[in-house]
Amino acid sequence: MTTVPPAPVVMDNAAAYAVNASKVYGAGDTAVHALRDVNVGFERGRFTAIMGPSGSGKSTLMHCMAGLDRLTGGETYIGDTAVSTLNDKQLTELRREKVGFIFQAFNLIPTLNARENITLPMDLGGRDYDNAWVDEVISTVGLADRVTHRPNELSGGQQQRVAVARALASRPAIVFGDEPTGNLDSRTSADILSFMRQAVDDLGQTIVMVTHDAVSASYAHRALFLADGRMVQELADPTPDKVYDTILNLES
Amino acid sequence: MLKLIVRGIVANLGRLILTLIAVVLGVSAVSGSFILADSLRSVFNQISEDALAGIDAQVRPIPSDIASAFGGGGLPTFDESIVDELEALPEVDRAAGQVSAIERVYTVDAEGEIVRPAGPPVFANSWSGDSEVSAFTLVDGTPPSGQQIAIDQGQAQKGGFSIGEMVDVSLANGTIEQFELSGLIDFGEGGTGGAYFILMDLPTIQRATETTGLINSIDLAAAGDLSGDDLVDTVSPLLPDGLEAVPQDVLIEENQESFGQVIDIFGNILLGFAFVILFVSIFIIYNTFAILVGQRTRQLGLLRSIGASANQIRFMVLIEAVLIGLLASLIGLLGGIGVASLLKWVFSQGGNQFPEGPLEIQPRTIAVVFAVGLFVTVASALIPAFRAAKVAPLEAVRDGGRKERSASFRVVTGSIVLVPGLILFGLALAGSFESTRNTFVGLGVGGALIFIGVSMLSALFAGVVASGLGLPVQSIKGITGRLARDNASRNPQRTSATATALMIGLALITGVAILTASVIRNFDEILEDAIGSDLVLYQPPQGQPFSPALIEPLKALDEVETVSGYAAFRGAIDDDVFDLRAWDSDTGASVINMGLTDGTLESLGTDGIAVFDETATERGLSLGDSVTFEFEDGAFEDFEIRALYDNSQVVDGVSWLFDRAVASEHVATDTVLWIGVSLVGGDDPESAAFADAQAKVEAIVKDQPQIEVQNNSEFRQAQIDQLNQIQILIIGLLAMCIVVAFFGIVNTMVLSILERTREIGLLRAVGTTRSQLRTAIRWEAVIVSLFGSLLGVIMGIGLGWATVTAIPDSFLSFVAIPWGQIAIYLVIGALIGVVAALFPGARAARLNVLDAIAHE
Ligand SMILES: Nc1ncnc2c1ncn2[C@@H]1O[C@H](COP(=O)(O)OP(=O)(O)OP(=O)(O)O)[C@@H](O)[C@H]1O
Ligand SMILES: [Mg+2]
Repeated sequence: MTTVPPAPVVMDNAAAYAVNASKVYGAGDTAVHALRDVNVGFERGRFTAIMGPSGSGKSTLMHCMAGLDRLTGGETYIGDTAVSTLNDKQLTELRREKVGFIFQAFNLIPTLNARENITLPMDLGGRDYDNAWVDEVISTVGLADRVTHRPNELSGGQQQRVAVARALASRPAIVFGDEPTGNLDSRTSADILSFMRQAVDDLGQTIVMVTHDAVSASYAHRALFLADGRMVQELADPTPDKVYDTILNLES
Repeated sequence: MLKLIVRGIVANLGRLILTLIAVVLGVSAVSGSFILADSLRSVFNQISEDALAGIDAQVRPIPSDIASAFGGGGLPTFDESIVDELEALPEVDRAAGQVSAIERVYTVDAEGEIVRPAGPPVFANSWSGDSEVSAFTLVDGTPPSGQQIAIDQGQAQKGGFSIGEMVDVSLANGTIEQFELSGLIDFGEGGTGGAYFILMDLPTIQRATETTGLINSIDLAAAGDLSGDDLVDTVSPLLPDGLEAVPQDVLIEENQESFGQVIDIFGNILLGFAFVILFVSIFIIYNTFAILVGQRTRQLGLLRSIGASANQIRFMVLIEAVLIGLLASLIGLLGGIGVASLLKWVFSQGGNQFPEGPLEIQPRTIAVVFAVGLFVTVASALIPAFRAAKVAPLEAVRDGGRKERSASFRVVTGSIVLVPGLILFGLALAGSFESTRNTFVGLGVGGALIFIGVSMLSALFAGVVASGLGLPVQSIKGITGRLARDNASRNPQRTSATATALMIGLALITGVAILTASVIRNFDEILEDAIGSDLVLYQPPQGQPFSPALIEPLKALDEVETVSGYAAFRGAIDDDVFDLRAWDSDTGASVINMGLTDGTLESLGTDGIAVFDETATERGLSLGDSVTFEFEDGAFEDFEIRALYDNSQVVDGVSWLFDRAVASEHVATDTVLWIGVSLVGGDDPESAAFADAQAKVEAIVKDQPQIEVQNNSEFRQAQIDQLNQIQILIIGLLAMCIVVAFFGIVNTMVLSILERTREIGLLRAVGTTRSQLRTAIRWEAVIVSLFGSLLGVIMGIGLGWATVTAIPDSFLSFVAIPWGQIAIYLVIGALIGVVAALFPGARAARLNVLDAIAHE
């Protein structure tokens, strides 16, 4: 177990990384420092869990890294691309092609069926895509018999699987998930997490996921801990016990 | 509770503004109609008083039904010798014979064209000296005397005339003379209402209008303090038969009444359109409330679950509606001023000037506007309010309480409204309601029910149709098209409600287009086989009567085979007054073809008559029978029926046809409506001989530039152009419905997008560009508006077809459907979607991705 905060990273094989990332909401007395000089890198082909107490800046970090929000200081990179240099159009393309994002809930467009939701980013880009790959993703998440169903005909767990499948289907450089299993029971959650892990191990996908759950975190290769907007701890090959210990440690 | 309502309104301010716009549009149209009509009425009342201010009493022909339509108002009718007699009376300070003739004399501009307004007529009046007795005020220059004229400023401006200049004036006898322009006049204080006036002194105007020795009326000023009534008592015994004396107050009252009647008709027509617009906006208001309440069902359900009663929920929504209704009525009242000014401007573009005067808001207008505004808003809020209150608390909290009505429920309720509507409309068309008024009420109520019923039923197929319309969009635009298509069809009820306003607007417009196209086609067809003459001489725009003096010189031309003048006058059978027509019967048959069924037309003479066969049958008359007519000069004469005809449309639907000599004998001033000329060998209007002959005819009419010489097809085209103008005016007024419909689409789009905020955030998060988002929203609006337009056009074709079919074949025998025009309406319908999507689309594209995703 290392207790040293990660040093500034410029990794050769990072799918995405942040350098001195800062985010301040508001100004003056009421300013909220959601992120304070965060330096972090996410290696290609690795599954990272991000943990930390509520309000510690996890969602903010995800959003800024995925180009959904802008930092007030520092820089985030997807591959070699500095996200802050992109205009709205380029950001949109980045989201469409380089990044997959899974929200906690309401991930799907209600008028489109499961398969259409999955191919949506590629359709939006007008890209030709690999149908075989899409089918493979769909069957891997166990949705083969549900592809023509609309979101309101799917259970919450099935909806999240569709969301995961969509994030993976376009083979993005990196997938971010903000508590993707936060609304699900542990069985369903375990299914989805092992699928995510499989995507990383078998397909070389890079995934970063925020979670509050120690068991969920144990599916990752590595767990990072945020507190008060700072990266405070890193844990390799987390197990539920190690994660509990770390949380207790940090709280004391 | 009140706090909650106020909070609710404040929180939903943006959305409520949308409802407000819909109510304001409808209410403004109503208040604008009232304001305009009231203002016109009071200005014209003032003008009547001003114009008659100096006249204590007037001598005039006793108004008779026979003379009122022609001659009486338009041309001088009685001998002027009485004027001197009256002037000599000690009780009379001044007696001035007056001439007022319509469309007899014109000024001619430098290009040789007559100067005339687009709509209103040109008057030739006598200048009766000092302006206290006169209806006219001299604004510049000196009064006309001898070879001088005074004209109104509008005419001077249009003709480019200035005081002191010599002006060409076309006289009734067909010559052009030069007159010096001595002064500029105004009618009363308020302008001429767009009409032109040419004033000369009495003898000159009599010469100019070919009415020497005749006058329309005598204006009297009493000597000393003698009252108008006393003056009347003094003068009356001295008057010959057929004349009467009337005091000032009666004159003013009559005047105001006759203006009032015209204004009432005008105001009622405007009001009719206003209520159509209001009707359309009700759908928008209802739809907006339905969406708003739907969106708040979750919140309302929460209130229910913490103890609010269903009544309290209803009360909340209704109070909100009342507040909006009040506010909208207030804004609509003021908006009415804008609408009234706009209408004034629009009509003035068409050549009709309204007199200057302040716009008037009467208490009645305020009362009606508030009543209508409140009623419309509250009624629209009622159904959504009750629906909201019915939703079980938990259901509302869980899934927003959106419960779709079952299809069978819709079919039943829709049919309950539609079927009586169809029956009522059908009965009205079939003429079962006797009076015109009831027929209109039947058409209006029936039509409204049909629209409501179709709107209710259209929710059944709106989804499928929108989805079908979206198919090509999807295949062209790909995923954005797909999203547009899905969104347009996901809530059929909303799509159909949104499309309803456009449907009604386009149905009415299409119906009117079909009606006018059919009228034009039928009319053209009738003219085509009815007019046998090669050339037609008449006076545009309305075919005002003119002097028949041209007939003789035309007959003298070698190129001319026959000439026939065609005149209108009136007569009575047993006190029932009829429009009559007269022509030169020896040559008339070669000029118009009215479908002779029995007898001969050539032998009418001065004691014969031709009768429309249906009229003859109705009255049990046959060839050889005799009919007695009374004419406007008081004469009674018998006529033998010598011919029957079956094509009355040719003669303006009139049943009685005389030789022109009869008309000439019994009217005060002989006129014709048009003259038909057949040329020798005039079959081919393209030939050089024809052109040559036409040139010779034109040379004869050269000094009467007000008279057009047109060949057959030109004449027909000119008539059609006029009908087209009426169509443009009606469609222009109905276009207001389209404006309301436009706001309806904007409303729905804005609200739907608000509802879908999170979805939009998500779309953006997974890589939808702003322009893709705008595209999807644009096409969604286009699909909805196209759905409405299609439905409207289909209904319009149905309504137009039914109406034309219901009109008796003797007026309209077949339906013409202007497909090209209808296609243009569809395109416009689609474009409305494009424009309506601009604002909602821009709003959606501006949304911040994360805020949108976090949106409740
Ligand atoms: N739009 C915003 N405006 C102001 N402050 C914000 C905004 N969004 C987040 N914050 C603040 O920034 C800090 C970090 O928020 P963030 O959502 O990143 O926390 P989190 O770690 O994701 O928490 P949770 O585990 O509860 O999701 C919090 O103090 C939050 O109040
Ligand atoms: Mg969070």
